[in-house]
Amino acid sequence: MSATTPSDEIRFIETGDGYSRFARGWHCLGLADDFRDGKPHELKIFGQTAVVFAGEDGEIHMLDAFCRHMGGNLAHGEIKGNEIACPFHDWRWNGEGRCTKVPYARRTPLRARTLRWITMEKNGLLFCWNDPQGNPPPADVTIPEIPDYDAGKWTAWSWKSYLVEGAHCREIVDNVVDMAHFFYVHYQIPRYFKNVFEGHVASQYMNSTGREDIKTGVQMDLPDAVTRSEASYFGPSFMLDTIWTEADEQVIEAKLVNCHYPISENSFLLQYGIIVEKLPGMSDEDAQAMGQTFVDGLEVQFLQDVEVWKHKTRIENPLLTEEDGPVYQLRRWYQQFYVDVEDVTPDMTKRFEFEVDCDYAVETWEAESRVESSSTATAGA
Amino acid sequence: MKQISCQNCGNRVLVEKYSPIHTSVQWLQDAGTCPEIREGATGAGGTALVPTCGRLRASIVAADRAGELPGTTYAEPAPLPRELLDAAAGAQE
Repeated sequence: MSATTPSDEIRFIETGDGYSRFARGWHCLGLADDFRDGKPHELKIFGQTAVVFAGEDGEIHMLDAFCRHMGGNLAHGEIKGNEIACPFHDWRWNGEGRCTKVPYARRTPLRARTLRWITMEKNGLLFCWNDPQGNPPPADVTIPEIPDYDAGKWTAWSWKSYLVEGAHCREIVDNVVDMAHFFYVHYQIPRYFKNVFEGHVASQYMNSTGREDIKTGVQMDLPDAVTRSEASYFGPSFMLDTIWTEADEQVIEAKLVNCHYPISENSFLLQYGIIVEKLPGMSDEDAQAMGQTFVDGLEVQFLQDVEVWKHKTRIENPLLTEEDGPVYQLRRWYQQFYVDVEDVTPDMTKRFEFEVDCDYAVETWEAESRVESSSTATAGA
Repeated sequence: MKQISCQNCGNRVLVEKYSPIHTSVQWLQDAGTCPEIREGATGAGGTALVPTCGRLRASIVAADRAGELPGTTYAEPAPLPRELLDAAAGAQE
């Protein structure tokens, strides 16, 4: 059936079977320093329960939470030195997942190893590597450093997280190609929109302006700002976005993270944060406040996404127009993280570029959001 | 999708155009075989973070002007050039 031939045929939604495993790749767990409070942290992640703890040496580790002895929950135990001690019988586990000591026993079952995730810190964020096949992360599959992250150029992270229930995390990844939702859900008018997928990276290049009728903190209190954004997913769940907000010959550069980790097949923890370049003459407090304004604006936007996800159905056969982004191609790219590495095919990883023609949409949206009087609403205020 | 070759390096890609602005480009070879993309690739992410190759773009514009890329409309299923990709991957090995 051709898209141009009118037809009376009813189109049915294919909901598919979903994913039966969790994606291979680096997943961000949040701000690294939040895990350095001397306490073990319990995480529901990848359909399991994990404990994340920082040893005395400052290294952060991640193990399956349940002690291989009698199943005690290590996240309710105590950090002793560089090890985590089970609250049940004080068995000690190190960051490699090895039992190092059973205080009451003459011999330690040295050969017993528990499940561990490789962890990494980058840009003040903590990551874990998930791979259902148990392979270590390849060197070329990593998270890039933010230039001058440690050089005092940027504010501290303004960071938020939100538990999303009743949706698979693919819903948020779909946003990468979803040009039109930026107007309806995020109150932006995309004027240039391009995607590039290659290897484990999926990028979105977008220039946009705010709507005249609805403003959010994402314009950073610069209502006439033009926002340029270069966003890339590095693997299945971590997006790093450079945003230039341009207004009155002033350019504010910010790094936005939009990431998540799956809790179950039907829930995930959405996390996002921002650092803003400190401009000369601007106090640290003012720069930090600017970041906070932005991230508060993002919260309004993400909650609107969440509201859609909660009530929508999974759809494997989206019905698209020429103004929609490359949803099918994005999902082929995304599929590479859900198959064994040896089953990754070229159609998942070979470079693909897609530039959306926004002109017709912009014309429509400008007319729709034009404000004749001075009745500008502020979303979320 | 129509196959065209870059006038500069001969890189073969599949191109589709719904309008003068819209452009869809499926690469068949590794992006690193393109000198401009390779030059632009720095740091983590490599060639994937280079937004475009100007010479390839110019080649597509030229092909379009020459009438080699007749505008198409969106049609299902989404183009899945798997056979072409597999063949290209085979030829590279």
